Amino acid sequence: MKKVQSEAVVGNGQTLLSKKTGMQRFKIYMKRYWQLYAMLALPMIYLVIFKYYPMNFITIAFKDYKFNRPVFKMPWASVKGEIDLLKHFKAAMKPDFYSALRNTVTLNLLDLFFGFPAPIIFALILNELPFRKFKKFVQTVAYMPHFLSWVIIYGLVCILFQPDGPAGGVINTLLVKNGMAAIPFLDDPSHWIGTYVLVGVWQSFGWGSIIYLAAIAGINPELYEAASVDGAGRLKKMWHITLPGIKSTIVVLLIMNIGGIVGGAFDRIYAMQNPVVLSVADTLSTFVYRIGLSSSYPKFEQTTAVGLFQSVVGLFFLLGANKISRKLGERGIW
Amino acid sequence: MKRKLVALLLAATMVISLAACGDKKTGDSSSQQSSGSSSSSSSSSSSSSSSSSSSAQTEVKNDPSNGELVNGKFVKTRKITVEVYDRSGKVAADDNAWTDWIKKQMLDRYNVEVSFKTVPRWTEKDAINTLLASGDAPDICYTYEYPTIQSYANMDGIIDLNPLLEQYKSLLPNLWAWLGDENIYYDQDPKTGTVWAIEGRRNNTYRINTFIRQDWLDKLNLKTPTTMAEFETAIKAFRDNASKLLGKDAGQMVPFLLTSDVGWTAAPIIESFIDPNITDKELYVTGFDDRKYTVAGTKEAVKVLNKWYNDNLLWKSFHLHQDGDSAGDDLCKAGYVGAFIQNYDYPYRNNEDSINALLAKNVDPNAKFVAINCFQDKNGKYTHYSYSAAGDRKTFFPATNKEPLASLLYVEFISSPEVIQYLQIGEEGINHKVHDNGAIEIIPVDDAHVRYNQLGGNNIDLTITCNGLRLSTPELTHLSMALSYAGSDPQDVANAMAVAEKDAVAPIHVNVGEITAESEGSDLTGKRNAGFTQSVICPTSDFDKTWDDAMKAYMQSGGKAIQDEREAAWKENFGNKTNLN
Repeated sequence: MKKVQSEAVVGNGQTLLSKKTGMQRFKIYMKRYWQLYAMLALPMIYLVIFKYYPMNFITIAFKDYKFNRPVFKMPWASVKGEIDLLKHFKAAMKPDFYSALRNTVTLNLLDLFFGFPAPIIFALILNELPFRKFKKFVQTVAYMPHFLSWVIIYGLVCILFQPDGPAGGVINTLLVKNGMAAIPFLDDPSHWIGTYVLVGVWQSFGWGSIIYLAAIAGINPELYEAASVDGAGRLKKMWHITLPGIKSTIVVLLIMNIGGIVGGAFDRIYAMQNPVVLSVADTLSTFVYRIGLSSSYPKFEQTTAVGLFQSVVGLFFLLGANKISRKLGERGIW
Repeated sequence: MKRKLVALLLAATMVISLAACGDKKTGDSSSQQSSGSSSSSSSSSSSSSSSSSSSAQTEVKNDPSNGELVNGKFVKTRKITVEVYDRSGKVAADDNAWTDWIKKQMLDRYNVEVSFKTVPRWTEKDAINTLLASGDAPDICYTYEYPTIQSYANMDGIIDLNPLLEQYKSLLPNLWAWLGDENIYYDQDPKTGTVWAIEGRRNNTYRINTFIRQDWLDKLNLKTPTTMAEFETAIKAFRDNASKLLGKDAGQMVPFLLTSDVGWTAAPIIESFIDPNITDKELYVTGFDDRKYTVAGTKEAVKVLNKWYNDNLLWKSFHLHQDGDSAGDDLCKAGYVGAFIQNYDYPYRNNEDSINALLAKNVDPNAKFVAINCFQDKNGKYTHYSYSAAGDRKTFFPATNKEPLASLLYVEFISSPEVIQYLQIGEEGINHKVHDNGAIEIIPVDDAHVRYNQLGGNNIDLTITCNGLRLSTPELTHLSMALSYAGSDPQDVANAMAVAEKDAVAPIHVNVGEITAESEGSDLTGKRNAGFTQSVICPTSDFDKTWDDAMKAYMQSGGKAIQDEREAAWKENFGNKTNLN
């Protein structure tokens, strides 16, 4: 041990090290940095258990599911004795699937269009506020909805947006009382989409702005001072300093969002949908839940097939977006 | 060095626990086949050690349990788990006076240790699907829908009960006495002979009723409706006199409460539009859905609902509240609802928390719902479907069940007349009192005996093979039925039973084996509910288009396939006959 230390101290350690064999170099390297790897171990174990190990079960998509057997012992999917690995993909990809796919992409694109810029704009505005206390207050209030579960949010949405009449929504009751027509916020497919997207923006813009505020805080204040000296106003500073300063953060988050364009969380859509708007509100995640878990005839193979499809398409979107961003001179996600 | 060791150890534990997870599943799979043989070998060794006389050996030979049972008790304590619905009642469904009693009885009688596993009532399918997939399902499960069980069977998820029933029949006298061959073999596959589930039995077949606020009718000088036209007049009168009936709450008025389960909360209306002379064949082919979605006539019934919706006679937000949501009940309890359709005893259920008891307590001592018959078919009769006595909850054993005999003995136990009676009426003085004529009246449970609150009316969630009050004699049962709802007027209950019985038609039972299309259609129930609700709330001018479009989508997603397969199966089994009898 002492020998190694002394070697490292003596003059040019680099050349000394390079003379050693690979194994020895590895040992020295590990001796120095093993704590870092030990720290890395925990998240790695997490990934292995919860992300890599479950990948075994992807094979369910190609098998005939049996309750009483481990996955690797289930028989391959077959039709009348002949193995047909794509059986469950064919069975799942019926009109319902395509309408769910279309709805997923539509809702996610709308979310991206309205939901993605909202936290950026909010962060920019917040950054310009001069009163610290007021700023903190606004920030906290805006975070709040993020901590509510979607079921509770839906409860609030119902109270506000339900049709008029018994146990009716506040807004429609007021409208009708004042002689105006009720608005079918939750009953009409196109209105429902609007409600869905806006409630989503309301729930997440505050929380989403945190990362941008952090990025803004990292911008060198001297840049602003220099710009002021050059006579730049607020808007100019925003446009020429703040936005370019957080551009790479924006790009990374945009890539991640595009990767999730065929994905999407389950709880939000499930809490907010109702039978009347199912034609626009059934997304892949609720489709999977309905045919897989809550169905009288669970079809685990088909839901796995749909899940696999989502992951593969998501991966292509992610890689594509990453490639484009690198072509445009941005950093990308790696 | 120490830290390294700890890290290594941690890593090792992770790897081992992962491996253990995998092992558990393999263990489960092989256990099912081997369980019978392994348990019998262990027991035979114990019996041979006790005595080797020839008489004892012949006894063992005649004993269907292969000596596992001595004097009807297991030599070694067995452990089983039993599903119980959780309806978020006053006591924990798996920890109360009744479960304690059952545990003790099972231990005393059979040396079987019972534990209960709760499954939420309104999301039971999600729960059981998940439990089966993870290998954690209770040893004894039950559900109401047979095709679900068939699909579990197709995935090797459950045990065929046929050989077990044959082997152990002599040990199950009460089960046979109560259910009989009819219920036990109700779902036996005519081709393969498999029995995936045992059907429970209904001791009464009352199904559904229409209820109306008697005090509102009185206030408005209306007579009790006996036709649909009169019913419509009544609910319109409720709507138009909202301020008289509800005062400042006039805006809350719901003349007729429809819920998101349209096919259920409008069933008598729908059934009155179905041709009363419909053939068994047509009913079998088109009536596969228990809400009669595809039966001819249903469309006309929903058209009426659509008219009512657009006439402000229904609750406008009904479709936003799904199964298990209490919002509709709350409106009834708050006194805002004029009429509704539900289970035949719905306003009387839950004793002092029942709709009628709360109405009388919070709204007006005279306020109450009474059952009426007013939806006539084209012949002027109040045709509506009842339940069939055979066929209720279906009890099945998952493939992970390692104690099929102990589980069967539990079903035997829970089908014993004295057990059913005790669970249904509870303890004298706490749950019931006995009238001079022997009739048993259910009384509210006081706060000191909270653990004695029943799980559903008459502990229905525990008496898994019996639905409906069943006392020692049919006469006593009849005397006590109307008294079995604490907090409600027995006369109202008796009336509800009479109304439910009038012109009721028993459903037909057709068993032609598996209809494979039934488990292949994707989420037909969801499509059906969507079709119903959309057609109710659309503008009247769009009704035909909305209904037809939804029906087309439903038929394309599997409805047509089921009808075709049923039609073919009918032909194969019954030829050109259109009626069974």
